[in-house]
Amino acid sequence: MSADSPIVEIGETPLVPAHVSAAFVSDSVSRVTEQASPVGWWMVFGVALLFLGVLGLSVGYLVWNGIGSWGNNSPTAWAWDITNFVWWIGIGHAGTLISAVLFLFRQKWRTSVNRFAEAMTIFAVICALLYPTIHVGRIWALYWALPIPNQMAMWPNFKSPLLWDVFAVSTYFTVSLLFWFVGLIPDFATLRDRAKNVARKKVYGALALGWRGSNRHWRHYERAYLILAALSTPLVLSVHSVVSFDFATSVMPGWHTTIFPPYFVAGAVFSGFAMVMTLMLICRQVYGLKDIMTMKHLELMNKIMLVTGSLVGYAYSMEFFMAWYSGNAYERYVFINRATGPYWWAYWTMVTCNVISPQLFWSKRLRTSIPVMFAVSITINIGMWFERFVIIVTSLHRDYLPSSWGMFHPTLIDIGCYTGSLGLFFTLFSLFIRWIPMVAMFEVKAALPGAQPSHHHAHTEHAEPAHGALAVKEA
Amino acid sequence: MSSAGNKQETSSGKRVFWRSLEEKSQPEAHREEADGSDVVKQTVSSEELFTLRRRNFLTLSGAMATLAGVEGCVRRPVENIMPYADMPEYINPGVPLHYATAIQRNGEALGLVVTTFEGRPTKIEGNPDHPASLGSTDMLAQAEILGLYDPERSHSPTHKGAAATFADFDAFLATKLADLQKNGGAGLRVLAQSTNSPTFVRMRAALTAKLPAARVHTYAPLNQSNALASTKLAFGQPTSVLYDYSKASVVLALDSDFMVTEPGSVLAARQFSVGRDMESAAGTMNRLYAVEPVFSVTGSNADHRLRLPAQDIVRYARALASELVTAHGVQLGTVATAVHGAATDGIPEAWIKAVARDLASNAGRSLIVAGNRQPAALHALVHALNRALGNAGKTVTYAEALDGAEPDNFADIEALTADMAAGKVDTLVILGGNPVYDAPADLKFADALAKVATSIHSSSSDDETAALVSWHLPRAHELETWGDLQASSGQYSVQQPMIAPLWGGRSDIELLGQLAGAPNWRGYDLVQATVAERGINGEIAWRQLLHKGVTDQGFARVLGALEIRDGDVAGALRKLSDAAALSTSNLEVVFTSDAKLFDGRYANNTWLLELPDPQTRITWDNAALIGPSTAKALGVKSGDMVRLTKGGASIDIVAWLQPGMAQNSIGLALGWGRKKAGSNGNGHGFDVYPLRSSGAPYFTAGVSLQKLGATYPISQTQDHDKMRDPRVEDQDRPLAMDATLAQYKEKPNFPAYRSPDPEYGPLWQRQDYSKGQQWGMVVDLNTCNGCNACAVACQAENNVPVVGKEQVSRGREMHWFRIDRYYVGENEDEPAVAFQPIGCQHCEEAPCENVCPVAATSHSPEGLNDIAYNRCIGTRYCMNNCPYKVRRFNFLNFNSDIPETTQMQKNPNVTVRFRGVVEKCSYCVQRIQKAKSTAKQDGRHWLRDGEVVAACQQVCPTQAITFGDINNPKSAVSKKRQVDRNYALLADIGTRPRTRFLGKIRNPNADMKEKS
Repeated sequence: MSADSPIVEIGETPLVPAHVSAAFVSDSVSRVTEQASPVGWWMVFGVALLFLGVLGLSVGYLVWNGIGSWGNNSPTAWAWDITNFVWWIGIGHAGTLISAVLFLFRQKWRTSVNRFAEAMTIFAVICALLYPTIHVGRIWALYWALPIPNQMAMWPNFKSPLLWDVFAVSTYFTVSLLFWFVGLIPDFATLRDRAKNVARKKVYGALALGWRGSNRHWRHYERAYLILAALSTPLVLSVHSVVSFDFATSVMPGWHTTIFPPYFVAGAVFSGFAMVMTLMLICRQVYGLKDIMTMKHLELMNKIMLVTGSLVGYAYSMEFFMAWYSGNAYERYVFINRATGPYWWAYWTMVTCNVISPQLFWSKRLRTSIPVMFAVSITINIGMWFERFVIIVTSLHRDYLPSSWGMFHPTLIDIGCYTGSLGLFFTLFSLFIRWIPMVAMFEVKAALPGAQPSHHHAHTEHAEPAHGALAVKEA
Repeated sequence: MSSAGNKQETSSGKRVFWRSLEEKSQPEAHREEADGSDVVKQTVSSEELFTLRRRNFLTLSGAMATLAGVEGCVRRPVENIMPYADMPEYINPGVPLHYATAIQRNGEALGLVVTTFEGRPTKIEGNPDHPASLGSTDMLAQAEILGLYDPERSHSPTHKGAAATFADFDAFLATKLADLQKNGGAGLRVLAQSTNSPTFVRMRAALTAKLPAARVHTYAPLNQSNALASTKLAFGQPTSVLYDYSKASVVLALDSDFMVTEPGSVLAARQFSVGRDMESAAGTMNRLYAVEPVFSVTGSNADHRLRLPAQDIVRYARALASELVTAHGVQLGTVATAVHGAATDGIPEAWIKAVARDLASNAGRSLIVAGNRQPAALHALVHALNRALGNAGKTVTYAEALDGAEPDNFADIEALTADMAAGKVDTLVILGGNPVYDAPADLKFADALAKVATSIHSSSSDDETAALVSWHLPRAHELETWGDLQASSGQYSVQQPMIAPLWGGRSDIELLGQLAGAPNWRGYDLVQATVAERGINGEIAWRQLLHKGVTDQGFARVLGALEIRDGDVAGALRKLSDAAALSTSNLEVVFTSDAKLFDGRYANNTWLLELPDPQTRITWDNAALIGPSTAKALGVKSGDMVRLTKGGASIDIVAWLQPGMAQNSIGLALGWGRKKAGSNGNGHGFDVYPLRSSGAPYFTAGVSLQKLGATYPISQTQDHDKMRDPRVEDQDRPLAMDATLAQYKEKPNFPAYRSPDPEYGPLWQRQDYSKGQQWGMVVDLNTCNGCNACAVACQAENNVPVVGKEQVSRGREMHWFRIDRYYVGENEDEPAVAFQPIGCQHCEEAPCENVCPVAATSHSPEGLNDIAYNRCIGTRYCMNNCPYKVRRFNFLNFNSDIPETTQMQKNPNVTVRFRGVVEKCSYCVQRIQKAKSTAKQDGRHWLRDGEVVAACQQVCPTQAITFGDINNPKSAVSKKRQVDRNYALLADIGTRPRTRFLGKIRNPNADMKEKS
């Protein structure tokens, strides 16, 4: 692409309406962190805090009494704990994908959603990390799973997929956090510059790390962002692949399958996009950001959900095909049992939510209808939770020896730990919206019609320093 | 714990003699403690870590000073330990002693060897020298050790509900006896349970000699009155009939669960297994026919099983006898006249013709047995048939009954209750037993008891009867007192106390001795007197008796061939009329001896409560067992509450569908629904005694069933899942694999054929296990009868916790060793059964090991799959990845509140696990280590075959489990691994398990084919 090209995708209409100016972007995004919160924010935050309290109580009860507070048992030694873990990790995938992969592919439409998605990633990974932590029987000895030199002269077992998980997820979290923070620096500087009181000035000033928008700053920033994007791109594929190894490397029918890594990644992107969509639609409504998060953005995201949803559907059918084709009686039984056994309802909920509901997006009318996409995004999130439940619980509950078959029934503490994690997520997310620019202002500005240096009508930005103006320079 | 009464108990000067001579080997064991090479190694490594240089010294002193400060903040209870001021001889801390003793189990003496650590018994094993044990025990005997430490046993005598002392009681008894003596004991009644104790019989005689007007009654809810009566009928004298299943090629069990619930089951199971121990396809095998109303363990092992209501068993036996007489010329004398013409409705022809042919062609090598549930006349017919088939003297022998004077229990309790109600009883002494709970309900024992002026009750717990008597006395446990028992084959054992009575109880013989006015009524003196009477004199002989635990000197009373009193037997048979056919409105209930709680006496024993029933796999409850098609006709589902009514009596109980039940026959296990069993047993299950009448104590027809509309939750460890789901599987999963004898001969490796190792090895290099001693186990599914003794033995040995009904329903039972029970076949009413004992398979390529993130479970060089409990963080990944699902997780702190006494049972060589860690079968690694250290004392680096015996292996009545070194080609386990029907479970996963199974063989009679 040449530096002269206009900021439109080939053959597409502009990403941001013509009337949107850089000042408008700065103002409408920064304003959210500067003014008193609307009632809607307080309601979300209040409910989220309530559920965070539920989480605290549930986890406290769990740690005090033991894993028996949950419904886990033999044979379903893992149940909602790991279901929630994989679900949250999956949700955390959209962030990296949108920030890094789409960045590298120069998908400009990502600019209005990437901040959102990255924040969601961070919070989703925090929620995800909660479960492996609290699901162990002896939480006080958890650090033995980390390769810390110790007086026992004992390393963790590097052969265990759970250890790979520890590395994969912690790497992912670290890189995502760095990526997010680096991307925030120019916007923190904007907030600092707009600050009307000393406290804001000091806090945002510190977070902005002395950013002044000089050419050299931009050069370093661009380089750093590109490197981080390149570093995190493989993570998009690796994290969920490694998570899927927890299952794929086992000997359990229903788990032991090579399709899992791509299947899990597709599912993760799927659920991540759905969650971003849900959150975006709410914020767009509450804060009136329709001109920044345009229908075009939403439609593009819906298309991705349609693709990944179909990929997931393909994986579901391929699992059945392989179970039949393998001739392995145990494998066949597990899949027949998924669809017709005591957990049939979970399986068919999953199929309905994940495979059937995104097919609505073939229609342009439905794809661009806010209520439809909101409903579908919620449905997909439900469906993806059930996908993990189906994989974990229905595979475990009836495996090789019929003598050991059982059923899993959740307890109140199970429910508390799950709904509580939503509370944690939304608490963090509400705080994010309240204090941090929820849209990458400088990146959006770079996608404005006048942002291109070659564009000779780019005078509208004198109202304030154009932090983003140089960001579109391409190598 | 040591009350005044207790001291009194132990004050006898001769106490020192009760120890056995087992300790000959102890000095060696003592040396082993001193060696402790592992400890030395530890010290070296810590020295390496902290070589004392100046800097290190300063560091350490600093740390120590800090820690000293910290310690001041920690609150610790003040706990003083006391050294032995006088070291008791033989007792070395940590080195167990083993004492021979015996307990009474279901009318039979069972010889034991009890392991004690520093004076506290922890584990029961069978005494290999005892004829009724041969080294094995059953699940109830295994659980006795927990019963001993039950903190809810009676702690002190009570008088009218208020605490008293034995001194108070002795004073009271002295005046009472003086009163009674004035009129020769009139008004004094003693109610005892049936006994195997010669001393008890002697003291009973002494009592009636002293107080001729007093009467001793006998009642046990599960007794052998029918069998005893039949010998009086058939032989004219009370006889104990001894069966030798090992010599029988064909066995017909008529409502007899001789493998578990009938008396002498341990020996019977062992003997029966002899005919099932196939070393190769060239061998021969015995055949078992079972005719029974409820699905017993014995029925599960039968090659042919006919489900028939209990009331029709006699009809079947008559038809069979008639066929034997008419078609095979079997000489039954006048008995023949009473067997002809029996109706054969509901009995397939093959069951008469083919079975008769099989029995007749194996004359002298066949055996017919009848269960205690069946009337005396049937037993008598069986005696006649065994005699006519030439089995007497071969598979059946006779010995003099120990207590020939034992009356018919039901008649006796009826007589006693009538006298009580009529006010003829002034003083009633109840020795053991719990008649308020378990006497036939129609007698209204509790009401009659209220009319007795003085009632004295000795029992181990504060039970239903204890609440209604004037004096309640704690009864000492059999492991706490002196006593003696005689096996039905005549051998004599002395019971030695393993520990002083925890709560100062007295034994039955002591109380009887007191009543009889014996001057030396202490158990020790009474037993010694009995022994002396039988000609065992002198200190050495006495010590040898204690050491060996059993003698046949002066006690064996084997009888030769006995003549059958044809006329009497025929007369008795004629009196039995054919019962009316059953229907859904005329149901039959069959009262069964509960495999776990027996008659209810084990109702507070948590090991047994939680143990799954061998057949139903129900824990913590009993249920009305109904066959699927009967239930369908009645419109009843599993878990429905139903009311069973017979005459004026009724019970409410949960219904449970149980395959294999006779049509319109309902199985009710006795012993449940206790109200005063203790906190563990109260309220579990349903009391079925209210339906039981003295007239029909074992089964009765004319029962109606009414649905109550409520449901009741049942906790099972395994449901009726089969090894095959017809939607996806065209044959059974290759799990508990079986074949008929013909199929086996055709394809001797039939199980391995279906469970092969994977075609390709792993991607990595395999560990070399060809060197050193490598442990392995072989379980023979053909000899295993599914009795469950191994599961309790493992629990006792390995400190396996109990989790409770609710946790079992959540799937959190902790049993390390379990028996999987599969139903085979499509007919839900008549399935075959396959039992498969499962512990950890100790896979060489263990899926559990590589998934543990902290390497808490890993392989030992000797091929054991070990767990370091204190390394485990509880991710439970290993549980998921275990294809055998043998790994158990401490979901909650199941060991948090173990009563102080129960803690004494714990095996000190096995860690008690905290919550949050995974545990599983270790192949009794503590026993391997113990044997190794003993071997090291002897200068050996190689353990001999049989030197390590796993707990499950040791207890197994059928010797189905073999354990040892698979690298030693001469070891028993290596030889078993060479048997053609050997296979590894789920071998196709590539786990290479160390535990192997030998496929089950069924031996159907080809002539029976015409029947379904």
